[in-house]
Amino acid sequence: MAGLATTFGSGAMTNSIEEIAGAEVILVIGSNTTEAHPQVARRIISAVESGARLIVADPRRTSISEFAEIHLQLRPGTDIALLNAMMRVILSEGLIDDAFIEMRTENFNALRDSLYEQEVEELCAVTGVPSELVRRAARLYAGAQKGVVCYCLGITQHVCGTANVESIANLAMITGHVEQSFTGVNPLRGQNNVQGACDMGALPAVFPGYQSVADDRIRQKFERAWGRELPGEPGLTLMEMTHHGRDNGIRAMFIMGENPVISDPDASVVEKTLSGLDLLVVSDIFLTETARFADVVFPAASFAEKCGTVTNSERRVQLMHQAIEPVGECRSDAEIIIAISRLLGYPMDYENTAEVMEEIALLTPIYGGIYHDRLYNSWGLQWPCTSRDHAGTPYLHKYSFARGRGRFVPAEHTPPQEQTDSEFPFILMTGRVYHHYHTGAMTRASAMLSREVPEALLEINPADCKALDLRSGQLVRVRSRRGEMQVRLRATERVSQGMLYVPFHFAEVPVNRLTNPAADPVAKCPEYKVCAVSIEKVI
Amino acid sequence: MLEKQIIKKDHVTAFLRKLAKGSRLVAPVRNAHGDLLYQEIESLDAQEPDLYGQAQESAKSFLFPQEDRLFSYSADGGYRFEPSDPGMPTVLFGLRSCDISAILYMDVIFLRSPRDEYYLKRRSETILIGIGCNEPWDNCFCNATGTGPFLEFGFDLQLTDLGDRFYVESGRARGDAILNQWPQFFQPVTEEDTKLRYQLALEAKAGFRRQVHVETAFNRLKEGSVDPAIWERLARRCDGCGGCAYICPTCTCFTIYDRIETENSGYRIRAWDSCTHEGFTRMAGGHNPVDPARDILKRRFLHKLYYDYMQFKRPGCVGCGRCIGICFGGVDMASFVDMVCSDRGVEPVARDVLADLLIEAGLVSQSDLQEAMRRRAETGRPLGAVIREMGLATGDEIAQCLLKGMEKIR
Repeated sequence: MAGLATTFGSGAMTNSIEEIAGAEVILVIGSNTTEAHPQVARRIISAVESGARLIVADPRRTSISEFAEIHLQLRPGTDIALLNAMMRVILSEGLIDDAFIEMRTENFNALRDSLYEQEVEELCAVTGVPSELVRRAARLYAGAQKGVVCYCLGITQHVCGTANVESIANLAMITGHVEQSFTGVNPLRGQNNVQGACDMGALPAVFPGYQSVADDRIRQKFERAWGRELPGEPGLTLMEMTHHGRDNGIRAMFIMGENPVISDPDASVVEKTLSGLDLLVVSDIFLTETARFADVVFPAASFAEKCGTVTNSERRVQLMHQAIEPVGECRSDAEIIIAISRLLGYPMDYENTAEVMEEIALLTPIYGGIYHDRLYNSWGLQWPCTSRDHAGTPYLHKYSFARGRGRFVPAEHTPPQEQTDSEFPFILMTGRVYHHYHTGAMTRASAMLSREVPEALLEINPADCKALDLRSGQLVRVRSRRGEMQVRLRATERVSQGMLYVPFHFAEVPVNRLTNPAADPVAKCPEYKVCAVSIEKVI
Repeated sequence: MLEKQIIKKDHVTAFLRKLAKGSRLVAPVRNAHGDLLYQEIESLDAQEPDLYGQAQESAKSFLFPQEDRLFSYSADGGYRFEPSDPGMPTVLFGLRSCDISAILYMDVIFLRSPRDEYYLKRRSETILIGIGCNEPWDNCFCNATGTGPFLEFGFDLQLTDLGDRFYVESGRARGDAILNQWPQFFQPVTEEDTKLRYQLALEAKAGFRRQVHVETAFNRLKEGSVDPAIWERLARRCDGCGGCAYICPTCTCFTIYDRIETENSGYRIRAWDSCTHEGFTRMAGGHNPVDPARDILKRRFLHKLYYDYMQFKRPGCVGCGRCIGICFGGVDMASFVDMVCSDRGVEPVARDVLADLLIEAGLVSQSDLQEAMRRRAETGRPLGAVIREMGLATGDEIAQCLLKGMEKIR
């Protein structure tokens, strides 16, 4: 998010998902696309079938990598080195898009000077990828007319997450692969509505539509609409609340649809924070691990029991209809907020969600033309959609970047904050499996999904397994500098030697007790993808 | 004596009101969001059957629910088991030929010995009223599976849309009984009706936009001349979501589990399962006799196209085309058949057979045809109907031309 904001001026997918099918070259980096974004993966596969060439950069042998012409199996946390190596090749071999750089971008000299100080061979040595593969990938991507990059949490969940994203943007701009259809940089957002939550201002420093709280004019606009004085200081990020809540003076929390006891890094700290609160209120559809710490729990309605919009990864706002009556005493999140607000002395009066949408349109320029009646019986509208007669925006930065000129932000390899040593010799990465969602609060309640993937398995390379005299299926204890857990092994070539991989959906394998809360300085996204651990047999 | 009658469209609602008294009435209904689904109609005054589209899902769940409570149990001072009563007289109205064929297929699966009592109870109390398809939809290929667009048997009644009226044919004694019980709604069939019914059925056969060579695929599978690489190509594209099996009208695999309600009570549930799930064959110790990377899809497609052919002389696919729309990875029946046949010089892309034949016979000019195609796209009406309405050719002429081109239609 932050990385694309500094370089392009807007932190969202530049293209539509549908456009991926028409790309010539696709670079997938840090994304287990088939399992995490199957709807995107199906377009990538279609593109490959119709002749597109696929490059995948991922430490693991994921299923999407099996469709790839080139798989760059880099060491975790060396994305900048890899991207810089590709750019250095492109620069040295004269494959840059001079006209694009000249007309549309700024600060190119800084990037060029920085790249000239780095050598391809040295950079490749950092990544562990043979330099010949990197050169081929660089030529392939730079040589295409229409090149798309898709990235996901494998890029952002690092201490250098923002710089990783900026480096991807550099690569796209140096080759002119932005501002067209079938061409761009696409962060794949998780869930059906993470983009929507960000759009609606579920971020510390902005009102809905990325309007800064520090801007007096904007703040006054919202104050006029809401009839209350609003703070001009940014709020706290997630980790500042769940890890350092006490230091930041937090006495009460209201957590909706989030399970930080399982999903946040170094989770035992989160438990301490929650236990130390004066008041914890949790609203969720099931009694989650986090809800067990709560003083008050509200049963929330599921997606099927309410009406409203969601905004997906490609900025598409879609209307979802209520399918069934709410079960039991549950209420929608909106109804819960409205009821509490009334009791707190600020009555909100919305007839229905369409009326809420009207207020969003009124106050949020990028959503200015989006109303329920326009979304009815359609595939939705892609923001920016600024007025009722605006048809929506399939791809961003046409003719000009949102910030004017695209800005090159050079970066250098930043090693992961967490390093292996003789005591903790393995690098543990966390991720997802196809059949479960996040902390499993919903999917593990389904008998079928639970049977499909009943437990977490720790992926380990067969050679490591043998060296440690362990067997596939064996129970092991995994320890990091922060915590430990027990889990069964699965020996597989999907991970290289020295690396381990485990999904985080399973409360009984609480991998986030082990992970490192060290976070990117700008985006504050924690380093989930690199954690030094040891493993030993459980006797 | 299997009867044939005519009912005016205006009288259908009144007829259904009589027929469905004391029964559950299920028919395709377009909901407020524009989706066409087979749904229970609670009041014919509020909801009207929509007989002009293909329902998104088949009618499978009304006989074999996605989640079926088999019995409840409790253990308060001794065990008690209470079987649930699945019975409910039901009228399934407006089913498409593929969906009726799928029910006939389910009959074979569930009513073989040992019979499934839950299915039997529901099925024996169900009246099937189908409607033939005057024009197939984009993904349809029931012509290739022998399950449409019109059926010869298997229904109690089958309707054909003749414009302002339906041609109604009875397929079994129960159909005759229905026609005789409410004679006031029906009129005798005229010669013109019979002719029109015949012409429409012929035109429908020529209206398929997809050519899916199911029989060729079967022969190749039988010969064992299928490139083994196909199985791996398919496996790479399958995420094991089970969508194909859930949407498939003939997929009947299920799993059984208990839903615990309190410490001492709960339900035993039978729920749809899918052979594309890894857990479908995984043993308690973790071993899976079916290799997910290669064999899961092989088993699935061989079952539908080969084993079923060998056993029942017909495929376990009814050509409804729904899997084509649902699969993320293009692992659907039509793609599979195309893959199997692709190196045989078999044309996978459909041509408009009727249009070709009309041009060949010199019945319509190229420009008239284009105008007819445009109107078809605009109104969604079958090509044959449009051509007749434009006065370009009579029903007889079209029928003659189709009869000559019979080979191409097949």
